Amino acid sequence: MRSRKLAVAVVITASSLVVAGCSSKGAATSTGAGASGTLTIGAAVSVTGKLAREGVLTKEGYQLCQEKVNTKGGVDIAGAKVKLDIQYQDDTSKPDVAAQLVDQFNDKGVKLILSSYGSANTEAQAAVIERNGQIMVDSAGADNKIFSKGYKNTFAVLSPATEYASSIVKAVAELATPKPKSVVFLSADDGFSKTVTEGGMKTATTLGLKVLDPQYFPNGTSDVSSALTKVKGEQPDVIIGSVHLVEGVAIIKQAKELGVTPAGFGESVAPPTPDFAKTLGGQAENVLGSSQWTDATKGTDKYFGSAKDYTKDIQAKFSHAPDYHNAEASAACLALVLAAEKAGSSKPDAVRAALSGLDTESFFGKIKFDATGQNTYKPMSVIQIQNGKAVTVWPTDSAEAKMIWPGTK
Amino acid sequence: MSAFLQATIYGLLQGGLLALVAVGFSLVWGVMNVVNLAHGGFVILGAYVGWEMHQWFGLDPFLGMFVAAAVMFVVGYALQRLLINLVINGPIFITLLLTFGLDLMIVQGMNLVFSADYRSIRTSYASQSLALGSVRVPLGRLLAFSLAVGITLILVAVMNRTRTGMSILATGMDRGAARLMGIRARHVYALTFGIAAALAGMAGAMIGTVGTFNPSAAASFTLMSFVVAVLGGLGNMYGALVGGLVIGLVQAWGGQYLPGTWVNALAFLVLIVVLIFRPTGLVGRKYYAARLEV
Amino acid sequence: MPTLTKVPQKRIFSTLQGDQARRLRPWALGLVVLLAALGLQGQLYSGQERTVATIFMFVALAQAWNLIGGFAGYASFGQVVFFGVGGYFTAVAMSHWHFNFWTSLLLSGFVSALFAVIIGIPLLRLKGHYFAIATLGVAEGMREVVTNLTDLTGGGAGITVPTVGSNATTAYLGNDGFYQLFLGLAVLSVIISGLVARNKFGYALRAINQDEDAAAALGINTNRMKVLTFALSGFITGLVGASYAFQQVTIFPERLFDVDITVLMIIMVIIGGSGTVLGPLLGAVALQFLSEFLRQNFTNLHTFILGAIIIVAVVLLPQGAVNYVNEARRTKEFSLLANVRKYRL
Repeated sequence: MRSRKLAVAVVITASSLVVAGCSSKGAATSTGAGASGTLTIGAAVSVTGKLAREGVLTKEGYQLCQEKVNTKGGVDIAGAKVKLDIQYQDDTSKPDVAAQLVDQFNDKGVKLILSSYGSANTEAQAAVIERNGQIMVDSAGADNKIFSKGYKNTFAVLSPATEYASSIVKAVAELATPKPKSVVFLSADDGFSKTVTEGGMKTATTLGLKVLDPQYFPNGTSDVSSALTKVKGEQPDVIIGSVHLVEGVAIIKQAKELGVTPAGFGESVAPPTPDFAKTLGGQAENVLGSSQWTDATKGTDKYFGSAKDYTKDIQAKFSHAPDYHNAEASAACLALVLAAEKAGSSKPDAVRAALSGLDTESFFGKIKFDATGQNTYKPMSVIQIQNGKAVTVWPTDSAEAKMIWPGTK
Repeated sequence: MSAFLQATIYGLLQGGLLALVAVGFSLVWGVMNVVNLAHGGFVILGAYVGWEMHQWFGLDPFLGMFVAAAVMFVVGYALQRLLINLVINGPIFITLLLTFGLDLMIVQGMNLVFSADYRSIRTSYASQSLALGSVRVPLGRLLAFSLAVGITLILVAVMNRTRTGMSILATGMDRGAARLMGIRARHVYALTFGIAAALAGMAGAMIGTVGTFNPSAAASFTLMSFVVAVLGGLGNMYGALVGGLVIGLVQAWGGQYLPGTWVNALAFLVLIVVLIFRPTGLVGRKYYAARLEV
Repeated sequence: MPTLTKVPQKRIFSTLQGDQARRLRPWALGLVVLLAALGLQGQLYSGQERTVATIFMFVALAQAWNLIGGFAGYASFGQVVFFGVGGYFTAVAMSHWHFNFWTSLLLSGFVSALFAVIIGIPLLRLKGHYFAIATLGVAEGMREVVTNLTDLTGGGAGITVPTVGSNATTAYLGNDGFYQLFLGLAVLSVIISGLVARNKFGYALRAINQDEDAAAALGINTNRMKVLTFALSGFITGLVGASYAFQQVTIFPERLFDVDITVLMIIMVIIGGSGTVLGPLLGAVALQFLSEFLRQNFTNLHTFILGAIIIVAVVLLPQGAVNYVNEARRTKEFSLLANVRKYRL
């Protein structure tokens, strides 16, 4: 008896769903500017998961941008000022979730997107952006691979991956005396780090350095002893790590444990972060690093002012010194805002055209995109940890201090 | 030759630390049939306790680890007594499910309280190394290794010679019979879990000294504990130590003679091969193999 | 006259009552649910379709795990290896060998099944914990192998299925197409699970689960049954992995061999009720829906809340939802607290 009633109930519910399904759903609400005086931008950031730390820094950058723009009245679109509203979702550090969130934003009519953190997430998002006709400004996905697929709707404000190690090599070749003869790359095996290594090796060969065989290790490992032991015998002058924070700290720590002493160390990503100097203490002294931005970067813009102003603002709002991840996120948001202003509209096509033609200075440096959508016009800075602080040493026109060489005693 | 020696020494030291991380996990799985997916979370929690002790009181982490052990013991005891005991009679994977939920809460809790910043407990001596010829023996790791071996030996002694230890083993073998003998099973289970958590916390404090940590590192420690515990074999207190040393050596030698990215694949290959030829692990006891019901 | 008009009515209801009808009823209900799901598609926006497609994906994965873990009782902690093998086979076939998607899909299923047979033969001799960890070792090991075969699989940098330009062999299915594809896979997995549960094959598996030696003594070829089940489970999981690879376009080893996926599968089966047909289905839908809902609405706290909900659900229903309902209907005892008392120490 009961089961018959249950069966009938299920049939009725299901049939009504089928009938309802045959009619069309309402059109997706569009929330462009002018609809309610707000410019809505979608951002999928990694609040949880293994990229949580960088994800939070990215979110902070977006948040500061929103605050700065709205304090000045908002985004100036075709004469009217509209408030900037950035909506956040957590992609749990997974590329498939990041891509799914882009689709969900699209459903709600949010066509302008700020990227998630990291090359893997950004790559996944870029594919969906292209299919949906949305526009994305990439704040943290540096891998050149993303831009070799012919995507037209993604623009990166940050310098591409190939520059990370290349800039260190260039700095060392230019400023280090005595000039080092050999260099070896210790690299994690993820796509971004491998691109960094490739770029660095090419530059090193062009500049006449002897490039020893690179050593790879699993991404995220805290034990790089095998790689260090293997290169110890070859006695390289410079060891460059294409790594993220965990492997970067491991290289310095274990090099000391194993007695590996080149003339200097250089690493991508890790040294400019505050965690690096904090966790290593004295061992971090004189390690070189490349950064997308430092507080000595030249350039100003109407929302953030100069790099020094930016540093003050981040310190005031988030109680820590800014990391370049903060800066690149704010710069991405800035680019999108400036493009919307330039286009006088928030429609994707107009914004894309505006972004392609954007050529402006900012607290982040020059923002201009080449034909593939990458910002090849902004050089990376090379920093060195001196007395526990990261100071810019290259390019020489924005250097705060002289490079100390050799870096290890 | 010196590269081989260096790799061997380094691998042994690393293995000892892995063993300490895994020993609590092995104890809980072997004795109570509880798969504790939050084990890595306990390790990292211990690391944070050690870090806080160092930060606030300047306490050396090798002393701070005892504080971590005490704190984690209380946490573990409470969790078992109040929460996990509620489902112990259920199908075995229920504890897995419960600890999964617990792990989500612990890791995200740490994320919220401590933020996802990477930390490390700095000591002046941990990165120094003793030089034996051309081979370097890092001091911090040597200390961690010695402590790991020492603690395992103490654990074995406690398990086999004290009444508490024997009551734990007895309850593990046959809970009903143990209760008939007057052993308070709820308390004993809670004690076991507390000890396991304390060991994890201690290992965490040491990990915090020789490496960097943040909440998302918990998962890899849980995974590593799985591998080490099963490789060594359940039901034998030395299992984790043996498993840890083997994994440490395999990874160090593998890293030396193969391209660096194959080390993890090699570790898993060794695990599978050992399990195929010795189904109960290297030194495990046969009885413990059969007790899995879904 | 009155009796004549009544008879047809009685006969309609009686067709739903008979023994044969009782066996057909689940299929009829299933058909209705399927139609409802298809109807639902018309109501959803494109991004929501993608979310629901993920729910279907987990239904299929959970059902596949239930075959080997629930029915046969061999808990495979490395189930994701079939997901990854299927996914990577499709990605490699489509990008390097220019196969079209449907061929790759079918082949991926068979390759995963073959892989299951290869690892099943040595590993299914292990029992309990050791089988679980051995399969975990295989999954993790395969991830490392795939990461290292850079020329074939792109290694850590990932591999991209060509979906635009001249290299694309099959048009991208879009959120609509993938919704239907994953729905189809979910339906397939439920049908297979239902068929297995109700015939001799399923009975053999349950016998193996309860007492393998006794089952062997009854003349069941336990080795063959176990390997076959493992292969079937691998086949379905491989199909799902292949579809996922096409949907994601660019795949990475650490995502396609992620142990989290296995853990989620196991949890969905256990929460729903392992060893049943409806259990994995309900568990997958409930858990995935809940986690998606929490993530959208509680950006900072969602994992914390999900963990708390799981703990409460586990403490109240340790045997899984479907088993609880079956027991409660049988014994007429619905109190949850009584349920807790049954399972606690």
